[in-house]
Amino acid sequence: MAGLTLADVRFWYPATERPALDGVSLTVAPGDVVAVVGAVGAGASTLLLVAGNLAPRVTGGRLEGSVRTAPSGIVLPTPWTQASGMAFSVWDEVAFGPANLGVPRDEIARRVDRWLARLEVTQVAARDPATLSGGELQRVILAGVLAMEPALLLLDEPTAELDPAGAALVWRLVRELARADERCVLVATSDLDAIPAFATQVLWLQHGRVRAAGPPADVLARDDIWTDGPGATTVAGLWRQAGLAGPVPLTVADAVARVR
Amino acid sequence: MSGRHPFTLLALAAALPALAWTLPAPWGPAATLIVALTLCLPAPRVARTAFFTAAPFWLFLFLLHDRATALAIALRLSTMIASFVWLVAILPPARLVEALVSAGYSVHVAFLFAATLSAVPALRARAQRIVDAQRCRGLATRGGPLTRLRALRALALPLVLSALHEVDERALALETRGLSAGTRRTPLAPPPDLWVERVARWALVAGCVAAIVGRVLWRV
Repeated sequence: MAGLTLADVRFWYPATERPALDGVSLTVAPGDVVAVVGAVGAGASTLLLVAGNLAPRVTGGRLEGSVRTAPSGIVLPTPWTQASGMAFSVWDEVAFGPANLGVPRDEIARRVDRWLARLEVTQVAARDPATLSGGELQRVILAGVLAMEPALLLLDEPTAELDPAGAALVWRLVRELARADERCVLVATSDLDAIPAFATQVLWLQHGRVRAAGPPADVLARDDIWTDGPGATTVAGLWRQAGLAGPVPLTVADAVARVR
Repeated sequence: MSGRHPFTLLALAAALPALAWTLPAPWGPAATLIVALTLCLPAPRVARTAFFTAAPFWLFLFLLHDRATALAIALRLSTMIASFVWLVAILPPARLVEALVSAGYSVHVAFLFAATLSAVPALRARAQRIVDAQRCRGLATRGGPLTRLRALRALALPLVLSALHEVDERALALETRGLSAGTRRTPLAPPPDLWVERVARWALVAGCVAAIVGRVLWRV
C-alpha cells in the first residue's frame, strides 16, 4: 500500500481565488524519497501540508480531489516555532510526540535514545531546548518527529538551519530511512545538489501544477528546469555554462564518468 | 517552594487574589500582599518584576480615586500581580502539563494552562529580540519618555504580527506532534503528590469559601 496517494488535488487557502495546488497527482510508495522542487510560491510547502492532513484541516481553505495518506510527521523550516515549549530538556522535547500518542514509557525511552543517537544530538539531551543553536534544534525537532515513527515523513526545507555537515547527516538519514526502514519520504528542498544522492523521484512544481516528475537524472537534467525552473545542480550548471555536449551530469561523479 | 506539586502552587496563586478581593480592605488585601511578596522575595528578579508591573496601577489609582478606594484596589491588584508573577517564575509549564495529565485531564486543557504560563516570558524574549534588531539598524530605544514612546510604537506592530505568525506555525507543529491524537498522553515524570499537600490545597479552598461566606454574612 502506498504511503501517500494524491489524485487531481486542488487546494485553495482561505480568501484566495487562485489555487495553491492545481491538479496535482502523486504516489509515494514505501522506500520512495520524492524531492519536491520549484520556485518560491510554487506550492511545495502546501503540498506537504496537504499530504500531512494539515491542509485544510488546520490551515483552513478548500480541497478538491482525493488524498489518501498514512500516519505522517512533518518538519517545518523554522525550528523555533516547532519546539513544544513544554519541555525541560531536549530529551523531554523528543519524547513529547510519542507521549502524546500514548506510547508506553519504556518504549518512549528506547525511541528517544535511538533517535537522539542517530541524529548525533545525544550530547545535548539534558540541555534546555531554548539554549540550542538553530541547527541543533532542527535536528532535535527531526528526532522528535521520527520518534513518533510515522509511516510518511514530510520534510520542508529540513536543512535550512544546518551547516554542511549537519545537512549531509540529514540527507544520509533520509536515504537510510527509506531504504532500510521502508518509510515514505516527501522532501521540499532547494538544495538541488543533494537531491541525486537521496531522492528516487523528483517532482517539479510551477504555479501549483506539476511541470515534470520522474527520476532525478531525468527531471534535473531537463533544459526547461534550467531556464524556467529552480535551476540545476552546480555540476549541471557548470556543464551547461561550459557549453559541453551530451547528457547533462548532475554530480561530480557523473561528470567525471562522462569526461572519461 | 519549587518542589511542591504544581496544583499546590496553582491553588496558592489563586487563593491569594481570591482572598484579597474577598477580605475587607485595607487589612485583608494588605495581609495577602505581604504573603505574595514574601513568596517573591527569595528571587529578587521576581520581586522586581512584580514591583515594576504593579507600580503604574498605584499611580493611576491614586490619581483617579479617593485614598481609601485607591489603596484597597491597589493592594488587591498588587496581590494578583505578585501571585501571578511568582507562579510564572516558579512553575515550569512542563511540570504543570505532567501534573494535569497524571490527574486525568486532557492534554488540551494542560496545554492551555501551560501556554498561558509560558506566554509572558516568550513574549518578553521576542520583544527583546525585536528591540535589539531595531537598535542594530539605528532606532533609538533609550532616552526620554518621548523617545521610549516612539520605540514602543515601533515595537508593537512587529511584536503582534510575529506572534500571530508564530501561532500558525506552532499550531501546525503541535498538531503533527500528536497534540490532537485523541489518546491519553503518557505522563513522562508525574510529580509526586503528598497527602500533606492535598490537605493544604483543600484548606486553601475551604479558607476562600469561608472568607466569601463570612463576607456575605458580615455585609448582611
